[in-house]
Amino acid sequence: MKRQVKLFLGPNHPGMHGNFSVHLYVDGDIVEKARPLPGMLHRGFEKLMERRLWMNNLALIPRICVPEPDINEMVYAMGVETLAKVDVPERAHWIRMIILELARIANHLMAMGGIGGPTGLYTGPNWAIADRDLILDIFEEITGARVYHMYIVPGGVRKDLPKGIEKKIENFLDYLEKRLPEYDDLILKNPMVQARTIDNIILTEEMCWELGVTGIGLRSSSGKPYDIRKVDPYARYEEVEFEVPTATYSDAYTRLTIKYKEIQQSIRIIRQVLDKMPKEGPVRARISRGSALRWRVPKGQVFSHIECARGEYGYYIVSDGSNMPYRIAVRGASYPQGLLGIEKYLPGTRIDDVAIWLDTMGVCAPEIDR
Amino acid sequence: MNSMNNIVENIKSELNPENIEIVKKNQIAIDLKNEEVHTALSYLKSQGWRQLTLLTCVDWIKENKFQLVYILMNWDNSVTVQVRTKIDRNNPKFKTIINIYPGAEMYERDVHEFFGVSFEGNPNHEKELFLELWDDIPPLRKDFDPLAYSKKKFDVREYKVDFIPKEGEAE
Repeated sequence: MKRQVKLFLGPNHPGMHGNFSVHLYVDGDIVEKARPLPGMLHRGFEKLMERRLWMNNLALIPRICVPEPDINEMVYAMGVETLAKVDVPERAHWIRMIILELARIANHLMAMGGIGGPTGLYTGPNWAIADRDLILDIFEEITGARVYHMYIVPGGVRKDLPKGIEKKIENFLDYLEKRLPEYDDLILKNPMVQARTIDNIILTEEMCWELGVTGIGLRSSSGKPYDIRKVDPYARYEEVEFEVPTATYSDAYTRLTIKYKEIQQSIRIIRQVLDKMPKEGPVRARISRGSALRWRVPKGQVFSHIECARGEYGYYIVSDGSNMPYRIAVRGASYPQGLLGIEKYLPGTRIDDVAIWLDTMGVCAPEIDR
Repeated sequence: MNSMNNIVENIKSELNPENIEIVKKNQIAIDLKNEEVHTALSYLKSQGWRQLTLLTCVDWIKENKFQLVYILMNWDNSVTVQVRTKIDRNNPKFKTIINIYPGAEMYERDVHEFFGVSFEGNPNHEKELFLELWDDIPPLRKDFDPLAYSKKKFDVREYKVDFIPKEGEAE
């Protein structure tokens, strides 16, 4: 006998990422229909940004994506610099790369440890959060804030690196490199995690193109290095050497291993940056004469994008030449899989795998529901 | 830069756009007439722009127009294209593109909700997505005033202050 039951996953649920809800229609333990229900985290950023000065927006934008706020500052700064034709000092580019890569490591650690939530391996998140805190310590020393830094500004970065921070970053990288094999043993080689993730939750290349999935999802299914850091380099990514890990068969386990490999590559990038960056020089270009509060950005429409931990993240910035943005549209990296993907491809999974689906597809509620 | 010029020439001869500009390195913007958008998108998809990155809308209230913006990404030659078209603001209607880019379904719902543009042919475009029980004009239109809305919607609450520190007393 067939009997459909409606089940609510979220907005408050240990397997949910942010205040986001999915209505599941289940028969037995198989999901038959799924309906994403965003809206509980809607803060109206796009409207708010139209009513703030170009510089005031800096305090607002990092809040769009909670686990990795620096990408917002970077795309905003890149877009505004293109419109206003600001040249960023050389040293600022390299400092930005350090910040972005540290943020990527922090996000990947949380996501990789986070698989412990749905699989019941609670040591994973505990370790990952503790190690992420070491990165937040570095951030605090550089920027003065732990989570929302407001550090990357149009024209460069807000201030220079403090003295001796290079040594601290290097120490942290050495520590993390020693620590990573332990994560491998704990999470990736764990038979329980393997049993839950191998050959489970398949993402095909056709699905990626259909929905518009980017990032780890696209790279792990197509086998091609589709990474914006390689394809359309920003900052100074063309001057450092790194590999883009790919795969041709994308199950939940492959996507986890790619996160692990990307942490190793980020460590490699930061080491090269510390080695190659100019040791001194200006870090912030003057964007206007006089007060930044009266600063006007020339007319134009530009889309700027970067590679965040979940895929292509971008802002569409429209200026009509006034002292406030005319319109800013946010392209959240997990928008395609978080709304249409859930509706189309979540049905067919078991209830207990739904949280793994959301975790390994990288669904991040605040950037969908900005 | 040479290949960029080739792409621009190619698009010019194939699509006959009203205006074409190079926005920055690896980015082109094309302005098209309404009826040419679907042909252009199909053509660009066949040329390698396989991903719809973003579909959004800009409200040009002074011209009384909405501008729809389709941003396409080609991962093989790393060129982003903005396809833009302006539609009438008083009767905001457009044909859907979900048969070309199926991923546009949610973006179209999004634009319908925030700008009131309806997309004919998208079966779900009028379902609410983010804003449940919204009771005013679409909120991202320029003539929507959030402050006036909140004054109309919510009562002013009066607060009673029952503790006023005297001079010299710690707050």
